[in-house]
Amino acid sequence: MAPLVFQGSENFRLRLILATLAGKPIRIENIRSNALDPGLKDYHVSFLRLLEAVTNGSKMEISYTGTTVIYTPGIIIGGSHSHKCPNSKPVGYFVEPLLYLAPFSKKKFSIVFKGITASHNDAGIEAIKWGMMPIMEKFGVRECALHTLKRGSPPNGGGEVHLIVDTLLAQPITIHELERPKIMAIKGVSYSTRVSPSMVNRTIDGARKVLRNIGCEVDITADVWRGENSGNSPGWGITLVSQGQRGWCTFSEVIGDAGEVPEEIGMKAAYSLLEEISNSAVLGRPQLPLAIVFMVIGKEDIGRLRISRAQIDERFIQLLRDIKTVFGIEAFLKDVDDPDSDDFIVTIKGVGFTNTSKKIA
Amino acid sequence: MSTIEQSNKAHRKTKEKNTAKKKLHTQGHNAKAFAVAAPGKMARTMQRSSDVNERKLHVPMINRTPDDDPPPVIVAVVGPPGTGKTTLIKSLIRRLAKTTLSEINGPVTVVSGKRRRLTFIECPADDLNSMVDIAKIADLVLLLIDGNFGFEMETMEFLNIAQHHGMPRVLGVTTHLDLFKSQSTLRASKKRLKHRFWTEVYQGAKLFYLSGVINGRYPDREILNLARFISVMKFRPLKWRNEHPYLLADRFTDLTHPELIEKEGIQVDRKVALYGYLHGTPLPSAPGTRVHIPGIGDFSVAQVEKLPDPCPTPYFQQKLDEYEREKMKEEGSAAKTTTRRRKRLDDKDKIIYAPMSDVGGVLVDKDAVYIDVGKKNEGPSFVPGEEKGEGEKLVTSLQAAEKSIAEKFDGVGLQLFSSSKEIHSVENDDDEEEEDEEEDESNAKNTGRSSLRRPKIHGKSVQEADADVDNLPSDDEEDLSQDREPDTVEIDFGESNRNEKLALETDSEFELSDHDNESWQRNSASKLKALNGDRRRWDIAKLIYMNNISPNDCIKRWKGEDVDEDHESEIEEEEEDFFQKRNGTASNEKDAHEGDLETFKPYFETLDRLMQKWKKTDLLKDRFIGKPAFSNEDDAAAEENNDDDEEVYGDFEDLEAAGDDASEINNNDGESENGEDEANDSDDSFADFDKEEVKDMTVSEEREMNASKKEKLRLQFELEEGENFKEDDPDNEYDTWYELQKAKIAKQLDINNTVYENMTLEQRQKIEGFKAGSYVRIVFEKVPMEFIENFDPKYPIVVGGLLPTEMKFGIINARLRRHRWHKKILKTNDPLVLSLGWRRFQTLPVYTTSDSRTRNRLLKYTPEHTYCTASFYGPLCSPNTPFVGIQIVANSDTTGNFRIAATGIVEEIDATVEIVKKLKLIGYPYKIFKNTAFIKDMFSSAMEVARFEGAQIKTVSGIRGEIKRALSKPEGHFRATFEDKILLSDIVILRSWYPVHIKRFYNPVTSLLMKQKTEWKGVRLTGQIRAEKGIATPLNPDSAYKKVERVTRHFNGLKVPKSIREDLPYKSQIVQMKPRKDKTYLQKRAVVLGGEEKKARAFMHNILTLSKDKENKRKDKKSEQRKERLKKLAKLEESKVQKDKEKKKEYFAKNGRKRSASDDAGGSRKRR
Repeated sequence: MAPLVFQGSENFRLRLILATLAGKPIRIENIRSNALDPGLKDYHVSFLRLLEAVTNGSKMEISYTGTTVIYTPGIIIGGSHSHKCPNSKPVGYFVEPLLYLAPFSKKKFSIVFKGITASHNDAGIEAIKWGMMPIMEKFGVRECALHTLKRGSPPNGGGEVHLIVDTLLAQPITIHELERPKIMAIKGVSYSTRVSPSMVNRTIDGARKVLRNIGCEVDITADVWRGENSGNSPGWGITLVSQGQRGWCTFSEVIGDAGEVPEEIGMKAAYSLLEEISNSAVLGRPQLPLAIVFMVIGKEDIGRLRISRAQIDERFIQLLRDIKTVFGIEAFLKDVDDPDSDDFIVTIKGVGFTNTSKKIA
Repeated sequence: MSTIEQSNKAHRKTKEKNTAKKKLHTQGHNAKAFAVAAPGKMARTMQRSSDVNERKLHVPMINRTPDDDPPPVIVAVVGPPGTGKTTLIKSLIRRLAKTTLSEINGPVTVVSGKRRRLTFIECPADDLNSMVDIAKIADLVLLLIDGNFGFEMETMEFLNIAQHHGMPRVLGVTTHLDLFKSQSTLRASKKRLKHRFWTEVYQGAKLFYLSGVINGRYPDREILNLARFISVMKFRPLKWRNEHPYLLADRFTDLTHPELIEKEGIQVDRKVALYGYLHGTPLPSAPGTRVHIPGIGDFSVAQVEKLPDPCPTPYFQQKLDEYEREKMKEEGSAAKTTTRRRKRLDDKDKIIYAPMSDVGGVLVDKDAVYIDVGKKNEGPSFVPGEEKGEGEKLVTSLQAAEKSIAEKFDGVGLQLFSSSKEIHSVENDDDEEEEDEEEDESNAKNTGRSSLRRPKIHGKSVQEADADVDNLPSDDEEDLSQDREPDTVEIDFGESNRNEKLALETDSEFELSDHDNESWQRNSASKLKALNGDRRRWDIAKLIYMNNISPNDCIKRWKGEDVDEDHESEIEEEEEDFFQKRNGTASNEKDAHEGDLETFKPYFETLDRLMQKWKKTDLLKDRFIGKPAFSNEDDAAAEENNDDDEEVYGDFEDLEAAGDDASEINNNDGESENGEDEANDSDDSFADFDKEEVKDMTVSEEREMNASKKEKLRLQFELEEGENFKEDDPDNEYDTWYELQKAKIAKQLDINNTVYENMTLEQRQKIEGFKAGSYVRIVFEKVPMEFIENFDPKYPIVVGGLLPTEMKFGIINARLRRHRWHKKILKTNDPLVLSLGWRRFQTLPVYTTSDSRTRNRLLKYTPEHTYCTASFYGPLCSPNTPFVGIQIVANSDTTGNFRIAATGIVEEIDATVEIVKKLKLIGYPYKIFKNTAFIKDMFSSAMEVARFEGAQIKTVSGIRGEIKRALSKPEGHFRATFEDKILLSDIVILRSWYPVHIKRFYNPVTSLLMKQKTEWKGVRLTGQIRAEKGIATPLNPDSAYKKVERVTRHFNGLKVPKSIREDLPYKSQIVQMKPRKDKTYLQKRAVVLGGEEKKARAFMHNILTLSKDKENKRKDKKSEQRKERLKKLAKLEESKVQKDKEKKKEYFAKNGRKRSASDDAGGSRKRR
């Protein structure tokens, strides 16, 4: 089979994940070919290694300059591994894509990731735990957990998390979510490593001040890490999650840098959450790819998900295009039957994927 | 008066009837009053009935075949040669379609009922490959059995193949029953056959008996019964077919350009179109879908196209008609046609479609259409001047006409009214058009369609459509052109401000009218509008998949105007900023952020902006449960002081509000008939407006609105049914798990249908694909030319869709068992043809067994009667797929034995598999110390020893030990220690495991490419090669089983030399007795006979001699007599054999004809 060709380093992980799920070879060209240090970065290579560890029979060919990768996927086998993440990317960068693969493997996933546990641009531990895993549960992945063994703030890290996915699904459940779920409560966690616990409290105060006006139940807990479990660098941050009806949620996450005012961090997180809520229908922007991919690899039935107008952005379009290239499936966008709302309903027919790597008894 | 008394007949006395009611009251009490008379019996009956009910259940499975217009039922007619397959099909077709076919080639589709069509296909009797393919696609199998012979090998093979591919419905049909002479034997053999059939299929399976052939057909009554039975038969979805699209090709054309063949020679790969009804799941419409054609190989679909149904059901036609009528009504013209409900099929509805057979003397072959012009020896059918009938005369007279019709009517005008002048044809076409347009404009009220015209798809002939298709540019090209010039629609924004939805609607309409003639008008008009200053509007659904526009552009194009409209000044300002900043780093960063999923966190604006925006939280008020405590900024400032109080208060209010909300929801559930949305939207001004409107509406309108609301709610899967149909709720409305699953499946199917129905045809095809039941044409490129050259319509062509996993190659671990009727066990690495999924391929399986789950150990041969694991290389297939294995498929190589060698099921697929083989290294001790020994002959170098240092070893006698170190001197010798002292005669064994690699061999059975399709030969079996090359089977003499001869060990006595003996101490002196010197009494004595004894002895001797002689004489006589008798018997036997031979000769001369004829020609008289 001739490999599918992609250009550029964008959606690097997602493309590899889609190829693995579909079992189709892909070729990614021109990876940062115009940059001063062209080719794959260390975290790209680290991710490829991780992918190789959790699959069997996959082949990766990286060109001499590192600007081209040919990836022939094997079979997802999972198992117990330990992965050391480079300090250029946090563990969330590696954990997030594995959530797409873990339910469809031969053996259960149990992987320990070592490295940084928080960053500005990538998923933090709480974001995955409280933001992504509830979404997976909606698709039938009930037994999954992310245990924090150690926290490690950037730049030196030293954290450790344990990803466990025990559910092995044949295929995800087909979902139908046509209504915006109402938000019942806002939960949150503010953590700190190697800084004074007062930073955490101040951050929480900042967030509370904003969220008080909403009149909804707000519950933010403090999570202060001390001693050897708190990694190598000082740092703090906050994650807020809005818990909606039927288990849907949206979240926002902000971490603090040196010299920043904790209250402002808290406020920023709160405002981001409000922004995210207003910009989303059922789930937030970071959770959307997961939901869409799980809908695509569902049964050959129609699944429907409501999204807001603001959620149709460049990332969404790129996601759908990549899905079409790999699976040959198009999503169908339709306005909701409601004059007051400018939301859309994404209708996707699953590819009829089944988890073939699982052994029968 | 007469005294005679009238004697009336006395009333009949009522009989003391022992009615059932009475019986109830026998012993003074009403038996019915006590519910359970026999609890044990009742328990048993209940148990039994529930058992029976439970056995009826099947795993709930979604039926992907549409109920609405299902594909034809594939009826395969299978049986050994000469059992009357063709005759049966002909009879059935005559019964169903009133057509007599002279030859059956390829599938024949017939309408059999209002909503059912049947596709008959005859399975070539002598081809195992075809049997495999047929077993995979047939919905119903008519299994023909010769009543005289019973079940033959082909029948048994077919049944076993079918069983492992999902088992279609099987109807047995027994033929040649008229050949039985006596009724009793007929009855007996019928019964025997029936019971044998039941054991093969299931208890109570239906077996039909067809007596004899009359006029080349089976008796009408019997065929009628059979046809009725078929027409009411129900089918269950089979797992494999419910997951894959497939098609039985009933026609094919070679689309290769003739010039190409001429230029590049006949060997050039061909472009082929296959036609047929789709079955199973929908076939994806995207080109490049991978399919497998068993017998040819894997292909990518170059193009799929739905063609008008050549054999539509009356139901479908009726629906079409109704649709037309509705259209007419809408347009205002009252077309009054009354529909009659008929119970029987009209003759015009009895359509037959058999492109490869000759229906009505017309035969559509691979590249031409042949018309049957009658027999050759009859002479020319038409001679000029000698017209045979009125018809021919009519035609010849027509041919004789001097003028064409056009010429005849030249100059004749049309007079509409008697007073008006004649209208002549107009020379200038342009004028006419102008006139038309003028007319259009003048009476614009009743001309022109208000909506799009929907052409009736049915009615165009398949050939016509074909031509169109061939002329059309391919789909890809069209797509490309679309990509280049995306469709846009202009909208007048002066009229409405909230018109996003409207815009989309018009868009979709526009899509439909793409090829309409009028579109240019709208286009030009809109262009004018655009000039006036209105902006373009893009459809996001289309923009998303235009790969030439970058996502960034897509969003801009889509949102551009909307942003402008809403907050013009603000954004414009921002836009300016944006453009200015574009070269700066900040905006670039944002861009990079937006387009890439690599960054997890979405883009947010800066804190200041956010603060600005979220000063007031009312924007989100409807997103939270409970009433938000909206506060002004002043309040917020004030509240900061008493923070805690506020929070407590807020919490309290929140709880209550949540409770309210919940109750509201409950209410909604209860009164779904009324507008349930009202409660939620009550604070909305729009809702109020709605309410007012409701009051104004009439009852019917209200009902309509309610109905639409209800419809909407029905499709809200979870809202209505609760979370997962309230699965965890013990008192939900579903009694059993089974019912719950059924309900879920039904609901999902319902949703699918509704969603699809709401799409336009184009969209639907894109999302859903081509659904089962549609007649499609699939074009394949690069088909080997042998397929065309060696095409034979008798062999079925199946196109099976592939799932993503099935395109990958890897190792399959399967549970496999040798078929119990196959004579030999199977050898590891011997080629085996597997029929797995759609494919038939040869591979080299390795048989293994699991050693208590620690390792997979290689087996040289399959075990006799149990399952083993088979690992082989090949295209992957999802676990739980059953398969059959065949060693030889070529007819010339078969021995007449049962050919199905193995059956199994896929357990697991993987990229690699670990299989080991036991390897025993043997060494001999040559020096033994206490617990240590030096071992030789196990290894050849010290290196090898080093590799095995510390390995466990064992002697034959069971003493365990360990390899210690290599010895320096004799190369390969080593020192080992044992738990006990070993003997020099012991053999030391090192047991190790050697990895076995599976040979990556995959050879698809390309039988359809052969001239002789039954003669496909792949890699030969090991045994075959040895036999042909004359190689003896290698045999290690040590492996041979020999008789174990245990020699009893003989120990010589201990001899101590004299010199030593003397030196021994007294205690150890060997005690020996001296030998005896004088003779014993017996040795000394001598006996002499004499007197009486001597006489007696002589007398006895004489007597014995005499009797012996007598005996000998008698024996001789007897043996002579025996010989005579044997001679006689031999003579008798010889004459008997002679007689038998004659009898047989006579019998087979008379009766044995059928078998010999069929062996020659493969069928009965049909080929002659």
